[in-house]
Amino acid sequence: MAIETVERVRPQPILKYKVRSGMFAWIAHRLSGVALVVYIILHVWGLRSLSDPESFNHLIVKYHAPVFKIGEFLLLAAVVYHSLNGLRIVLIDFLGWSPNQKKLFWTLFVTAAVIIVVGGYPSIYALATYFGR
Amino acid sequence: MANLYGKSTRSSAFSWFLHRITGTFLVFMLITHFWVQHFDHSTATITTSVVAEGALPTYSDAAGEAVRATPRGAAVAQVTPYDVVMARLAHPVYAVLWKGFNIFFLIFALHHGFYGLNNVLGDYIRNDMARVVTYAVSWSIALVLLVVGVYSVVTAGIGYTGV
Repeated sequence: MAIETVERVRPQPILKYKVRSGMFAWIAHRLSGVALVVYIILHVWGLRSLSDPESFNHLIVKYHAPVFKIGEFLLLAAVVYHSLNGLRIVLIDFLGWSPNQKKLFWTLFVTAAVIIVVGGYPSIYALATYFGR
Repeated sequence: MANLYGKSTRSSAFSWFLHRITGTFLVFMLITHFWVQHFDHSTATITTSVVAEGALPTYSDAAGEAVRATPRGAAVAQVTPYDVVMARLAHPVYAVLWKGFNIFFLIFALHHGFYGLNNVLGDYIRNDMARVVTYAVSWSIALVLLVVGVYSVVTAGIGYTGV
């Protein structure tokens, strides 16, 4: 009896992610998390000026430069997304909400978008005012 | 981790659990931190008018009142961001509250951040020795930041004499 024992295995591309909501949530959580670690290093390092009025005020002036308005906006976006998706992870892990994880994702997505637009408006407005004058 | 260089008998389940707990706390601590630093009417440090003018932001009369309200405050002068922050950190009563809050915030944030960073790094660094070295370096940076941060927060406001 001739039995076909050789399975035909097609070589798969190594990275064949299907970027659906869950995968997007995971990637964005990682990227925003790493970005926030970079931010906290700078932030805590800057605390050294707390005992010196001159260097503290100097730092504040530097932090008001236009480039930091973009930074502020990105920081807000990273924090808001990472917080909300983090809460989603906690609900999934602790309360067993995984059956609802997709609905949860879209809820957090819309909520995050609203908070980022509303909360980030002052930074972008300040930037627009600066370049528009 | 690190099968070649000694097996860990400890389960990482506790760290995993802690990561979620610190994360949940951080959401609320961050809201508090952000509100106090940037939205409170008397101490807000962000105004739209100061972008790249190279000058310190100006403050409302309420901010001046808040700074002068600290018992160490003296004459009326131009209020700077430093004075505004010192309204909390040099205050004889509130300083204890805010310094305590900031130290907890620092510990939670650093643990959460660097534990998360190590998770990410551990996923991509497949060499055992390299991974152990990376974790060691990463936690060392976290420790340095903790020492610098706690020292800065504790010593802030000592010797501040008001505006």
